Amino acid sequence: MVLRQRDPIQRTWALIIAAAICYLPANILPVMTTQTLRSVVPTTIIGGVLRLYEDGSWVLALIVLIASVMIPLVKLIVLAYLMITVQLRSERFRRERVRMYRMLKVIGRWSMLDVFVATFSVALVQLRPYMTVVPGSGVLFFTAVVILTIFAADTFDPRLIWDSGENAGGR
Amino acid sequence: MTDDSDFTNLPQAETVGKKRARISIVWIIPILAAVVGIGIAVQQRLSEGPTIRIAFRSAEGVEAGKTSIKFKEIEIGKVTGVNLSRDFSRILVTAKMEKSAEGLIVKDASFWIVKPRVTLSGVSGIGTLLSGNYIRFEPGKSRETGHDFVGLETPPPATSGLPGREFVLRSDTLGSLGIGSPVYYRRLNVGQVISYGLAEDGKSVYIRIFLNAPFDRFVTSNTQFWEASGIDLSVGASGLSVQTESLLSLLVGGIAFETPSFPAENNAVADNAVFPLSSDRATALSPREIDAERYALYFRGSLRGLSVGAPVDFLGLPVGEVTGIFLAYTPGERSIRTRVEIVTYPHRLFVPRGTPDATAGRSTTTREGRAFMQRQVSDMGLRAQLRSASLISGALYVALDYFPDAPNAKIDWKPTPPDFPVVPGEMENLQANLRSLFGKLDRVPVEEIGNDARKAIAALDRTLVRLEGETLPEARKSLETLDRTLQSANRTLERVDGEIVPEAKKTLEELRRAIASAERVMSNTDDTFLGPDAPGRQDLRDALREIARAARAVRALADYLERNPNALIRGKSREKP
Repeated sequence: MVLRQRDPIQRTWALIIAAAICYLPANILPVMTTQTLRSVVPTTIIGGVLRLYEDGSWVLALIVLIASVMIPLVKLIVLAYLMITVQLRSERFRRERVRMYRMLKVIGRWSMLDVFVATFSVALVQLRPYMTVVPGSGVLFFTAVVILTIFAADTFDPRLIWDSGENAGGR
Repeated sequence: MTDDSDFTNLPQAETVGKKRARISIVWIIPILAAVVGIGIAVQQRLSEGPTIRIAFRSAEGVEAGKTSIKFKEIEIGKVTGVNLSRDFSRILVTAKMEKSAEGLIVKDASFWIVKPRVTLSGVSGIGTLLSGNYIRFEPGKSRETGHDFVGLETPPPATSGLPGREFVLRSDTLGSLGIGSPVYYRRLNVGQVISYGLAEDGKSVYIRIFLNAPFDRFVTSNTQFWEASGIDLSVGASGLSVQTESLLSLLVGGIAFETPSFPAENNAVADNAVFPLSSDRATALSPREIDAERYALYFRGSLRGLSVGAPVDFLGLPVGEVTGIFLAYTPGERSIRTRVEIVTYPHRLFVPRGTPDATAGRSTTTREGRAFMQRQVSDMGLRAQLRSASLISGALYVALDYFPDAPNAKIDWKPTPPDFPVVPGEMENLQANLRSLFGKLDRVPVEEIGNDARKAIAALDRTLVRLEGETLPEARKSLETLDRTLQSANRTLERVDGEIVPEAKKTLEELRRAIASAERVMSNTDDTFLGPDAPGRQDLRDALREIARAARAVRALADYLERNPNALIRGKSREKP
């Protein structure tokens, strides 16, 4: 039997809130700044998605949109939903909620795709003085979102889902 | 019991824990995230500079999010939007400036789009070929912050911050000047044209120039500016003159200035003082109109060849110029006259340049000055006359000279400009002479002369008739006598032919025989006589000499006979040798 963590609910909530706070600047601040001779172009995640879509590669745009925008958001919402239902000691959809949680843990790390892309771009595109890519502060927040949601998912104890039913019996 | 004690202990511990309601340390993470997030937001908010709008006539190469606004080649803002104005006449460029540049963005700041410009005087903005156009910013001098600006279409000259002063020149035309055209002082490039425009009344052009610091103090109230654009090539009465300031000004035009040394009063001038811009150096340095005196001259006869600007000479020195040529009709006069207005510079006339005492006899506005001029005209015979400067170009000029024999005249001070008396020009003189010559020819009594000649011929005829009647018969008689004389001479000659010639023939025959015999003797006596010491040689030589002498005598005789055939009849005359 795995030992239960102390204050799992508080911890998870703290991490979820922290991730939610970071989610905002992660999407507002530029993740990359492309400097060419002509211009300095900062790119946000949404801006990148739009750019890809405008360029015609809407498949890529969709992938980035899902991986970078939707998944963290879905994770946050799902985690928040799980936490609320746990705290409300809801007894409905317990099986489905566990399945959701497992899926969350699987897809969570895929969000790091963006960070990888940004890191690779920054490392590779250093064609000074013609073109350089520098990381924007958004990428830090984005990384924070991803890591915090992973941790939040980790600290969430799925057993809590089942706690409510047993609590009637004493615990 | 141990179990019991255990059980009793545990709930106690749990209750204590639950009652503490402790807050997990994990909450630091969201607080930290919030603090960082808020911190960044606040920083972003604080670092956000003002948003400005610039109106351009065209926003060539300006793109939202890409084009930057630069000051001293440092980016201080970025274009965030490019829109058409509401009336579609302009482009409104919205730009977000950086916080650090906030103090610079004052009301009279200027913005212009930097693009590659290739002009004759230089190439600028080459960097924008690679980096794209950008908007240059130049701060103004105002202290008020501005938000709406009107962009410049052409870059202002790079003079801001340079020490120096601006002046304004007025000119009739812009000539070949442009922004950036150089300004020369003693052929040094000391400034440039920074802007130009049409005056409000549309009748002149103002040109704003900037002179760099040490040179601006050479501009005083007397400074004369002139256009040094291109080649100034003029053919005047004074011949062909070519003037140019420099090769660059040949291409892009230029302005030159100089301060004449002769007027003593050289006052400092304020910034933006207005000066006239002359078309060339000679005009600029000729004295100003204040010192000028104007006269009107009325000539009779053609003014072909006289042009505005033709010189006015006084005893061969240029003292002024022709300012206008008109036709004048005065109601009292019968014919239309030509009226020439001239301007003279009295101090050139009467006071040498550079003399401080330039007031003596200087202006005819004074009574003394007028009296002086009047004396020159009425007593000394000072007159204006049209003269030909060059036979080839046919250019005329006005000469002021003394004509003591000219009929009396006076300057008429009443009209403005006053009338100055004239004498007919050289061409007019020539024409007058020809006219009088023809007039005299007209008066010649050709008919009478013809009559006289006819009479004379008739008299001659009569004389000849008388000559024929009286003299010719006598002449015929003389001729008949002459004929008879000749016939007798002829007869004499016939006799000579018949009697004397055979005789001569006989003589010649004998001579031939003698020669033949001599020949024979010589051929026989070759041996005896031809030796160098032959005794007969001397005799032979003597004989030959004799023969030669005889031959000569015969020839002389023949010659003589030829010349004087009558010697055969009358013998050799005594007188002739």
